[in-house]
Amino acid sequence: MDTVTTTGLTKSYGRQVVVQGLDLRVPEGCVYGFLGPNGSGKSTTMKMLLSLVRPTAGEVLVLGEPMNRSTRRRQLARIGSLIESPPGYGHLTGGENLRLVQRSLGLDEAQVDRAVRSVRLEEQLDKKVAHYSLGMKQRLGIAMALAREPRLLVLDEPTNGLDPAGIEEIRELLRRLAGRGVTVMVSSHLLGEVDKAADVFGILSAGRLLFQGSREQLFAAAVPDLLIDTSDPHRARAVLDDRVAARVDGGSLRIPGIDDQGTARVVADLVGAGAPVYGVRREEQSLEDVFMDLTRGGRL
Amino acid sequence: MTTPFSAALGAELTKLRRSLSWSVVVLLPVVVVLAGSFTTVVSGQQLADGWHTLWLRSVVFYGLLPLPLGLGILASLAWRPEHRGGSWNALMSSPVPSLYVVLAKTLVVALLGAVMQLVLLVTVVLTGKLLFGLAGMLPGRYLVITVLLVVAVLPVAGVQSALSMAVRSFATPVAVALVGAGTAAVLLAAELGGVVLVLPWAVTARATQLATGTFGDSGELTAGGAAAVVVAGALLTLLAVALATRYLERRDVHT
Repeated sequence: MDTVTTTGLTKSYGRQVVVQGLDLRVPEGCVYGFLGPNGSGKSTTMKMLLSLVRPTAGEVLVLGEPMNRSTRRRQLARIGSLIESPPGYGHLTGGENLRLVQRSLGLDEAQVDRAVRSVRLEEQLDKKVAHYSLGMKQRLGIAMALAREPRLLVLDEPTNGLDPAGIEEIRELLRRLAGRGVTVMVSSHLLGEVDKAADVFGILSAGRLLFQGSREQLFAAAVPDLLIDTSDPHRARAVLDDRVAARVDGGSLRIPGIDDQGTARVVADLVGAGAPVYGVRREEQSLEDVFMDLTRGGRL
Repeated sequence: MTTPFSAALGAELTKLRRSLSWSVVVLLPVVVVLAGSFTTVVSGQQLADGWHTLWLRSVVFYGLLPLPLGLGILASLAWRPEHRGGSWNALMSSPVPSLYVVLAKTLVVALLGAVMQLVLLVTVVLTGKLLFGLAGMLPGRYLVITVLLVVAVLPVAGVQSALSMAVRSFATPVAVALVGAGTAAVLLAAELGGVVLVLPWAVTARATQLATGTFGDSGELTAGGAAAVVVAGALLTLLAVALATRYLERRDVHT
């Protein structure tokens, strides 16, 4: 079952369309990496999932039930979230802030303690939140979201302000939570921050979903450039002429966006024309390249 | 037993820790009472009509301006932390119903207002005893009026809390309180009768004028006069809470 499903989810402010026709599928118990550049509509989407913002069109189902203004307060008991800047009242200590959450949600001491331990905030509870670093505020915000032991956790850029060790800790935490069956949706504008933790990706650009699927599907979706190693790349390019968009790249000929059949034809043409081919390979691609490629071009 | 609402109220009380609100609650009535008696004390005169004169000088002015202003400030202070950082998102993504959020905040502001009435009462008694050496005790009707005042702060607490919830600015709702209080004072001075009580600030001011003989008051504490204040206060409070809840339910979170 999918924990979150949206159909045609759209938000516009006046004429400006911020999020357009999203059909999200967030499978149960996964870490869903919600990626996109700043301003691509990630926060707005997450706010619509929580009914903080009402969609202009489309529907949201969370845990199989509609999420809207009449159902939200009931639904929110099972959803932990951290959206945009972390919460926490500055004039209260971390511990007092957590007691507020404990009280208003009717949680027991043990639930709060577990949440605090999982973000390693035990030592900082007596300090006023106003004196917290951004990283500590993020941890407190995550603890506040975790304390209710949610079935769905929605985290908007939770690694903001964390150092590399902190980011790694959050990644481990997300994996652990997913291992326990919690569905985690986490957004970032940096692929590197979530790629190791996420097993499903949704990539947003200018309010549209460019891609949604597993890591393997993501790699498969973006065709890596073909590199043909030849002793005379200029001649090889002249042979192919205008039929394919090839360019010389060092000692090789680089051809983007070409499929396997196309590759076979190009190699046959080159060999037929007497151009010396001694290597044909696909370029190694990192997930980062795929992501940049997708969001820059807005294609797929 | 903890119910979701008592939990929400408890949470609001926790938020008052280390809050500036307490200094407003204590300082405002003390300053007003002392300022009202200052010239008399300095000139070594006595109060013409003992406790009655002291009450009139302290409480009537207090009800016209310092009290509504104080409630405006308390409401803005109560909502200020919610307008900071990610608090709005957290508040609106919790399972606590909007009605409880609004009601708990209103009651906390009213509670602070009630404590302010107690401080006022104690200050008046101490001033009468220590500065003027008045005989006897403050007449019982002023204790009844103090209880009425605790109820009468509710509509202003409700309206000011709603404003401070909707408006991020600290000063704007306080300015509205000033305008509201001024309008109420003018209307009360015009002695239009019960119609004035449609204005929340007029309800509070009217309560402070009971049994004083000012602003068209008979000078006696009557059941009708008291009932008018209580009923108008209750209705206006319900209206303010209902409108604020509806607003909170409909609006999108802006950050």
